[in-house]
Amino acid sequence: MNKPTPTAAKKPASTAELFRALWPYLRADRARFVAALVLTPVVAGLGLVQPLLLKSALDEHIVAGRGEGLWIVAGSFLAVVVLTYVFEAAYTLLLATAAENSILRLREALFRHTLGLSQRFFERQPTGQLMTRATSDVDALNEALTAGSISILLDVLVMGGTLAAMFALDVRLALLLLVVGLPLAGVIEVFRRRMRVLFARVRDALAAMNAFLAERLAGIEVLQLYGQEERAAARMRALDVTHRDANVENNYYDASLYAIIDGLASVCVALMLGYGATRVGMVGADAVSVGLVVAFVDYVDRLFRPLREFSGKITFLQRAVAALDKIFWLLGVNERITAGDASPTQATGRLSLKDVRFRYRADGPWVLGGVSLEVQPGEVVAVVGRTGSGKSTLVRLIARVHDGYEGSITLDGTELSRIAPASIRKVIGSVRQEVQLFSDTLRFNVTLGDPALDPARVEEALSLSNAHAIAARHADGLDHRVRDRGANLSAGEAQILALARTLARDPAIVVLDEATASVDPVTEQLLQQAIERVFARKTCLVIAHRLSTVIHADRIVVLDAGCVVEQGTHAELLARGGAYASLYAEGFGVELDEAARAAR
Amino acid sequence: MTFTRRFVGAYVRPLLWWYVAGTALVVLTNWLSVRVPMEMAHGLDALRAGTPGVRDAALHIGLLGLLIIVTRTLSRVLFFSPGRHAEFALREDLFAHLLKLQPDFFAKHTTGDLLSRATSDVTFARAFAGFALLQGINVIAALTMAAGQMLLISPLLTVACCVPVAFGFVAVHSGISRMFTLQRQAQAQLASLSDDLLGTLQGVATVQAFCVEDTFVARLTTHASALRASNLEMARLRALLFPVLTVAGGVCVFLLLSVGGDMALAGKLTAGQIAAFIALLAYLIVPLRLLGVLLPVFQRSEASLERIYTVLDAVPNRPDLGRAQPVPVGLTGPTIELRHLTHAWPDAPDRPVLSDIDVVLPGGATIGVFGRTGSGKSTLLRLLARLETPPEGTVFVDGVDLTRVDLADWRRRMTLVPQAPFLFSESIAENVGFGAGTPVVEAAAASASLNVDLAALPDGLATVVGERGIALSGGQRQRVALARGLARDTDVVLLDDVLSAVDHHTEQELLEMLRRRRTDGRPPLRVIVSHRLSALEQADLVLVLEEGRLVDKGTHAELLARPGPYQDAWAAQREAS
Repeated sequence: MNKPTPTAAKKPASTAELFRALWPYLRADRARFVAALVLTPVVAGLGLVQPLLLKSALDEHIVAGRGEGLWIVAGSFLAVVVLTYVFEAAYTLLLATAAENSILRLREALFRHTLGLSQRFFERQPTGQLMTRATSDVDALNEALTAGSISILLDVLVMGGTLAAMFALDVRLALLLLVVGLPLAGVIEVFRRRMRVLFARVRDALAAMNAFLAERLAGIEVLQLYGQEERAAARMRALDVTHRDANVENNYYDASLYAIIDGLASVCVALMLGYGATRVGMVGADAVSVGLVVAFVDYVDRLFRPLREFSGKITFLQRAVAALDKIFWLLGVNERITAGDASPTQATGRLSLKDVRFRYRADGPWVLGGVSLEVQPGEVVAVVGRTGSGKSTLVRLIARVHDGYEGSITLDGTELSRIAPASIRKVIGSVRQEVQLFSDTLRFNVTLGDPALDPARVEEALSLSNAHAIAARHADGLDHRVRDRGANLSAGEAQILALARTLARDPAIVVLDEATASVDPVTEQLLQQAIERVFARKTCLVIAHRLSTVIHADRIVVLDAGCVVEQGTHAELLARGGAYASLYAEGFGVELDEAARAAR
Repeated sequence: MTFTRRFVGAYVRPLLWWYVAGTALVVLTNWLSVRVPMEMAHGLDALRAGTPGVRDAALHIGLLGLLIIVTRTLSRVLFFSPGRHAEFALREDLFAHLLKLQPDFFAKHTTGDLLSRATSDVTFARAFAGFALLQGINVIAALTMAAGQMLLISPLLTVACCVPVAFGFVAVHSGISRMFTLQRQAQAQLASLSDDLLGTLQGVATVQAFCVEDTFVARLTTHASALRASNLEMARLRALLFPVLTVAGGVCVFLLLSVGGDMALAGKLTAGQIAAFIALLAYLIVPLRLLGVLLPVFQRSEASLERIYTVLDAVPNRPDLGRAQPVPVGLTGPTIELRHLTHAWPDAPDRPVLSDIDVVLPGGATIGVFGRTGSGKSTLLRLLARLETPPEGTVFVDGVDLTRVDLADWRRRMTLVPQAPFLFSESIAENVGFGAGTPVVEAAAASASLNVDLAALPDGLATVVGERGIALSGGQRQRVALARGLARDTDVVLLDDVLSAVDHHTEQELLEMLRRRRTDGRPPLRVIVSHRLSALEQADLVLVLEEGRLVDKGTHAELLARPGPYQDAWAAQREAS
């Protein structure tokens, strides 16, 4: 159960392994991928034919003074242009559709897999990193699928075909251009490398600047209250100077690169003419004809155009491989709550804990050191204890958020770890102290979009929990939108919604971890009322922070350092003058210490 | 284009000479570029006829090519670099102005909105000052010069080529406007996917506890599907619409070969001229494609500049400016007098948050403020800190109207520790001292009883607290903010319910420390907002607020002795126990 995480000491998978892992997501679109692959040589070939037709029209008809057949050649050229358009469009669309479909499948698989992982995993893994997997890492893969993989093949075919065509037309001229062109290709690569470094610097500077700016804007009041405006402005300026200077330097390389490629075409024309001048008067294949020069100008352009983007595409591929490695690491994580298969249908809510021990890490301290506890159907049991006494852990074990306890927790006689997670969560409803809300409507936050919920039951839960009263505070009622994961709701309102959420599932046992945050008096009253109603109807296990809650319980269990130290009713325990009495004197929580002191 | 004009006047004009030189070079580059096909025509015709001049033409073209490399580089640098400088100056001014604006402005704009003005909107302004100006001039120069040379070769062919080219241009132009829309749409879709994913991951325990994984996967996949649809439509534009201009070029070449070929056969045109025409055509297509991009850039930068100028034109809420009166330092912290103070939020002027508060807070005293949530306690402190602006004639500091007190000076003399602290993702030392020396920071940390926390943190005071202090617990965050407030010696100390972050024992220690606190020997005025009555027991005066009204005031003992909210609160807690 406590397998070591695969993050450490993991060697990166090979590209072939990654491709094999990726294949299931590509497979449904394999026909499109194959069609695009088949179209690749067609698209490349059609492009290569165009200069040949140009040459033929110029040399064999216009220069040669032969009018017949000229329109046929010209018409063929037009036909090839149109065909190129059609096939290229088909190729692009096939590839884009196949890539986008595959990406969608991969994203969905990532969502599904991630949502199935255990809490331990989420406690360890920063949310930001998980976000990156499903967003920018997937995007990197998308770029590689559309602009990388197959289009690199197209580039290779075009460049190879172009070279072949040039050599077929005139070996010496082709060699001459290559002698000049190849070093230039080298220069382009040198520029590209420098630009890549600069680009990385620009990107980092921009990210640093944006992060700085975002935070200072959010905390601008603090800056103003503490007279920190000038210091912030100076730091911002320093960040922006780095950003600007990297960009300005990048401009020189970018401009030169553009200009070199621009001027290069002219230099090539000059070379061809100069070469032609040495062969004036020759005939046939030895002469440099008008058509040959025009065709070569076209070919040189076709040769250099992919070269300009080639290293960029290689980068796409490298990034995609790195991204895939991380994506499949996540998909390979197999930390789940171990699933049992028992599914109790009729739970009465008899919960029994026997000598339950638990720790978060195999070498960590025991958080629960042998807890035994019985909750009878219909009973309300309150658990009290200091911070760190193990109360919240107890709730998490019973709700099976965490796994791997020792001892026994049974529900109506069935061991908890044998019950399927999906069943247990319908039998035990838990309300957490820190309520997790979603940026959606109030209603959604209660139903969580579960189509299996009985509308009548939802309605009843909304009334029982006073969630209707919360909704009534807004003109749009239950359709009121929760913003920024609950920023526009108070802690009390959030807990009422959470209560409704749990009651809507009609669980046999309600496990409630009471909120400690201060709640405004009106909401406090609504919450208290709701809790009392739940107490009257359900088997409840409550981690209590409020005196008013504690005194409504049938039985109180005092937890200290992971062990049950006292049990009984409020009056019994007070009379005993032990741990409960001193907890009571301290007021259970921050809010009530004044009241407790007054009562002493 | 009002805002573009202002931007040009303020940020582009100072860099005028860059642009003048750049324009000259753009024109020169284009002139050189269209010379190449013309020289080529001569060279090719000479080559064919076997007449001399081929070598000269080759030499000219080679030289032109080398010159183009130099002038093209410079022309781009001369536009792009000032664009970056203009961007830098604009962003610096924007941030400087934002720092001057007061909370009333920030209440109306979200951080995300302001951030996007300082980043992407500034980027669009730069795109105007660099790319758009360069290409605007380049497109005009290239089109006129290339078309001029084409007309010289054959007016008929030039006119014939206009038809497909115009068609192609319209196709690309309409595609590009749609592309811009789709890009923004895809960005928004990605943003909502990220936002929903973040919410889902943060709430994953709930999702699992309620077995609604399927619902949430479906929700997330809906966003991903929408994103896919936008991406596919963009792919369709790229595949179907954008290459139309290339096809148009192909149609032109067809016309050149067929119609032009016939003309050549009739002796009205040379083969070299046809080759030159083809080269000019290729040269023309590039700026035409850019022209499609240019117009949306101009529109977008105008819209962005409008958003930027909305901020730059906002007037800081600083009534003290130009008429500031000094508040001399006295023997104690200043006495603050509230005279029938009524304050409402601008969006609800008829529902005052504070009504008719009339009380004197004597210098050097400890003032307690008690009241339920929403009674106006925090607003009162924010008014005293001048985060909100009180109406004139309602708040006086040693007899001087607070709206006339020099704000920077006032902020140096007071400290406010808010209820919800804001920490920067820096070290604790930086968050406490803002660059103050270690002794100051250590003393402040000790005063705020932060030392126990520091011992448990990996790097003590040097611990970086993460985004908005995420690495710290709520109580720790509040104690860091308290240390920040105590790190400075001030004449006024305003604490907004910060003592709830500590246990009862520490609370009493802190209160004792506050009682003993002196600023250059002067006792400061201390205002302590608390819902814990124990924190107010020792106060010289307790103000009881209810729904924005001062319903009672007195010492703890006096207030307990008479009926009212204070006594009620006391009794309510007694009853609960």
